[in-house]
Amino acid sequence: MDAVFVLTVDLLAASALLTVVRIVRGPTVLDRIVALDVLVTLIVTAVAVGIARHDTGSSVPLLLVLTLLGFIGSITAAHLVEEREDMR
Amino acid sequence: MRAALDVLSAVLLLTGAAFCVLTAVGVLRFPDPVCRLHAAAKAQTLGVLLILGGTACQVSAHHIVSLALVAVFQLATVPVVGQVVGRTAYRTGAVHRESLVADELEARLAEDERGG
Amino acid sequence: MTPANAGPGQPRRPRRPAGRRLLALVWLWLLWIMLWGSLRATVVVGGLLVAVGVLTAFRMPPMRNRLTLRPLRLVRLTGHMLVDLAVSAVSVGWAAVRHGPRAPAAVIEVELAENSDLLIATTAYLTTMTPGTLVLEIDRERRLLYVHALPVPGQDAVDAQRRAVSAAERVAARAIRDSENRRTF
Repeated sequence: MDAVFVLTVDLLAASALLTVVRIVRGPTVLDRIVALDVLVTLIVTAVAVGIARHDTGSSVPLLLVLTLLGFIGSITAAHLVEEREDMR
Repeated sequence: MRAALDVLSAVLLLTGAAFCVLTAVGVLRFPDPVCRLHAAAKAQTLGVLLILGGTACQVSAHHIVSLALVAVFQLATVPVVGQVVGRTAYRTGAVHRESLVADELEARLAEDERGG
Repeated sequence: MTPANAGPGQPRRPRRPAGRRLLALVWLWLLWIMLWGSLRATVVVGGLLVAVGVLTAFRMPPMRNRLTLRPLRLVRLTGHMLVDLAVSAVSVGWAAVRHGPRAPAAVIEVELAENSDLLIATTAYLTTMTPGTLVLEIDRERRLLYVHALPVPGQDAVDAQRRAVSAAERVAARAIRDSENRRTF
């Protein structure tokens, strides 16, 4: 089972790396918002794998907080982009 | 029982991680923000659900409720993010309109503009 | 505006908002207890207080039509949605690998047959889960949905996606509509 956990985390890390490339490259703020949203979700999955491996329930609230924070962050950022565009 | 759960959990975790990789490939390769949103909204959501399922097989029973809540929150929020970001992307011109096969919104927005 | 302080004796608004708010109250209460993950008295009582507080502080906007949910069909709707999500994920993953930067996309206008807030919201939700489609704009007044579709190699695929959205609307309508129509007409 340990091999499975390691492989899963490796795959997640590779995904996170690709996502970070997109965050760096952009080109628009919206691309970065989408990529950041994916990155937050990847962190949620990684924490979940950690919970599965060590059966540490104390991290479960972290999952909830991250999920909701990612949601609120993306929505707020998108609204800001729209407002900035309207001001032009 | 334990072994069966482990196998199920391994399958769920690995498929979930595979979908996360597919999402990342999509986010990296697709041409504009809305196409990338497709990957983020679908492949990533499925990936999270599968991994949460895999985790649920491994933890003690009273954490499963919380994990289910995380899954519900994911499912509830993803389409909202998709719509808000997608709408903003289209309106701010981040979508490559000229490369679209068909664009039925452009005419409507132009019409609304003329009408005031 | 809201019939919140209309007493139960008033004939025109019989206990509809109260029922809906009770449902919201129970849901928030349950959510609180699930988040704490315990049944201690402080959690249970505190949760009830928080739920009442939230509902008093943030009034929900009134809905235009009456709705009755059908539990069994909602379960089926959820199943439908999960299957759709799985197919979507595979299809968008394949498109990412196969087409990548040259993925053919389209923005499609879909006319909606239904006219209720919840039903249109549900349709938009299901559409996002349907393979290849993502809702961009909801034109509530004209009852139009603008959908971003991917991948769409040609006009045939555009029409197929349009039909898929209408199908999602019918699935939603079957779970939510009936009683509503009886009520409004």
